[in-house]
Amino acid sequence: MSEAPLRARATLRLAAGMAAAVALLALLAMGLQYRLVENRLMQAQRALLAADLGGLAALYDQRRIIALREAIAYRAAAPGGEMLVLLDREGRVLAGTRDDWPAGLAAEGAGFVIDPAQEVVLDGDRWLVVARDLPGGFPLLVGRSLEPVDDTLAALRRGMLGLLAALLVAGAGVGWLAAASVMGRIGRVNALADRVAEGDLDARLPGPRSADEFGLLETHVHGMLDRISNLNRATHRLSDTIAHEMRTPLNRMLQKLGRIEGQEAVVAELRGEMRQAIRVFDSLLDISRAEADQGHGGGLVPVDLSAVAVEVWELYQPLAEDKGLVSSAQVAPGVRVLGDRNLLAQMLANLLDNAIKYCGPGDRLDLSLEAGAQSVLRLVDTGPGLPDEMKDAVFERFTRAERDRARGISGHGLGLALVRAIALRHGARLSLPKVGKGLTVEIAWPRAPG
Amino acid sequence: MQDRILIIEDDAETAAAVAAVVAELGCEAEIRGTLDEGLAEAGLGDYRVIVLDRMLPGGDGVEAMARIRAVGSRALILVLSALGRAAERVEGLEKGADDYLPKPFEPDELRARLRALLRRGTMQVLDNDLLAFGELEIRMKARTVHVKRTHVPVSPKEFELLTYFARNAGQVVTRMQLLENVWHLHFDPGTNVVDVHVGRLRRKLEDAGSAAIQTARGEGYVFAPLGAAG
Repeated sequence: MSEAPLRARATLRLAAGMAAAVALLALLAMGLQYRLVENRLMQAQRALLAADLGGLAALYDQRRIIALREAIAYRAAAPGGEMLVLLDREGRVLAGTRDDWPAGLAAEGAGFVIDPAQEVVLDGDRWLVVARDLPGGFPLLVGRSLEPVDDTLAALRRGMLGLLAALLVAGAGVGWLAAASVMGRIGRVNALADRVAEGDLDARLPGPRSADEFGLLETHVHGMLDRISNLNRATHRLSDTIAHEMRTPLNRMLQKLGRIEGQEAVVAELRGEMRQAIRVFDSLLDISRAEADQGHGGGLVPVDLSAVAVEVWELYQPLAEDKGLVSSAQVAPGVRVLGDRNLLAQMLANLLDNAIKYCGPGDRLDLSLEAGAQSVLRLVDTGPGLPDEMKDAVFERFTRAERDRARGISGHGLGLALVRAIALRHGARLSLPKVGKGLTVEIAWPRAPG
Repeated sequence: MQDRILIIEDDAETAAAVAAVVAELGCEAEIRGTLDEGLAEAGLGDYRVIVLDRMLPGGDGVEAMARIRAVGSRALILVLSALGRAAERVEGLEKGADDYLPKPFEPDELRARLRALLRRGTMQVLDNDLLAFGELEIRMKARTVHVKRTHVPVSPKEFELLTYFARNAGQVVTRMQLLENVWHLHFDPGTNVVDVHVGRLRRKLEDAGSAAIQTARGEGYVFAPLGAAG
């Protein structure tokens, strides 16, 4: 359920990353290009200005201000991308492409060389100008418009922006496609893993493996799954074989026991021992089977947990009563869970058997099953409870309190281990809440569908 | 005519032990050691009961039950197997076995179960509302019990227990049979919880003057309301 947005996020991240990388590289290249073009254009304008100054210098050499004035007047008649202004000693305009000296522009030096030149903004356009004070007090202004440069650069910028946008879109698109294809193929493997996790150990990906890393990944995963299912089959076969190989000789022993006469007490004791050995053995197999089946719903059907609880309670309640326990059961009717009736009954029987074993006369024993969003089965007793240091270990196999051995309470420490294995098999949560006295076991069941 | 019982079992010693029990019941035993031979024999002979092993040369007996039906046998099937965990017993019963006994087994237990199966075919259905065993009367619809015309209050489970006893009157029923048929539980609870229930019912009946339920030597109880303990 949460896989789809997860995959989309990874795809998006990859696509965005690829687009950004492409765009960044392009931006760097275009920036260098831009600098180069800008420099070349500025150099061209400077060269033009230098040529203008050269021409004016030649005229000035011949006939001084007169020649300059004529030339400027002539040029001003057809103005191009240039600015020329010549003033007299009183600051009146002798000739020029404009009617005044630009405000705030100071004349520097007296020669016709290009340096120092200045960039000014006049009427919204940029100009490269040279302002001079010619001998005798005649200020001269020669300038070249930078408008063509700015126009070209603006066009260049527009082009670059467009290109950048196109690159971003293309990069994102290509990135998306690449990421989607990668994620799609990883998604196939993930979907397979999900099916396996749900218990379908024989699930495999259809179609041929491709000859790349993904094909290799799928081959590896398939190899692992083959190994797991072989092991699984071998385990099942082994537990059947062990059962057969152990119970068949036990059976022969039992038949021979029947032929022994005159030692009834010993024979009965041996029978009891054999029965106990088989119980331990079955519990171990039940635990490992329940643990192996943990987390997948195969084989589970809707079961009326209330009915099972009442039935097992009625089976054990007289036992509690005979032992002098004060018992009560409050079982909400109609609580249904996905389960295995037999396992559930076994779990309840183990819990009740355990509680009755440890409680003494006068102790309380209360079973309750609450319906709700999460049904909770609770068995509360006021018996000796558990030492704190045992609370974590008590559900492990073969865990027994020292004091039980001391008190001579028999058992193999498998009852609660089986309880836990069965609870986990049903996806239920088992806990031992802290209580003042005795032991409380709580099992919270997942809601059954339907 | 003697009832015939087919034993399909590959362990010779077990087969002999089963055959001994069959002989005690006054039936004729036929032994086959592999699944295929057993299947062939099941189709030929007219058997009342087939005692079927699971892990046989040739396959799993439980999987072969459909084939036993297919060869035309109408015998009741008792699975006798080393696959004796609760889950395996439930599986066998769900797949059509009439009874399922795990190995190792007590001869008494097998005898009680074979007897119950043999009787199943001949027993008239208990559709009478009133079951009367001398002074003990059970009314099925009202779910009441009377001894010498006195009402004996019993719990619903005790009533079920009593009717199961009544249905097997005169025969030994084992604790395991009671657990399976009255409580529908297929695992060994370790403690003899069943004894507590039988003890209570028995005391109630005895207080009212009926010694119908008696402990049978060895493995169980016998319901003998007319005095003659079996």
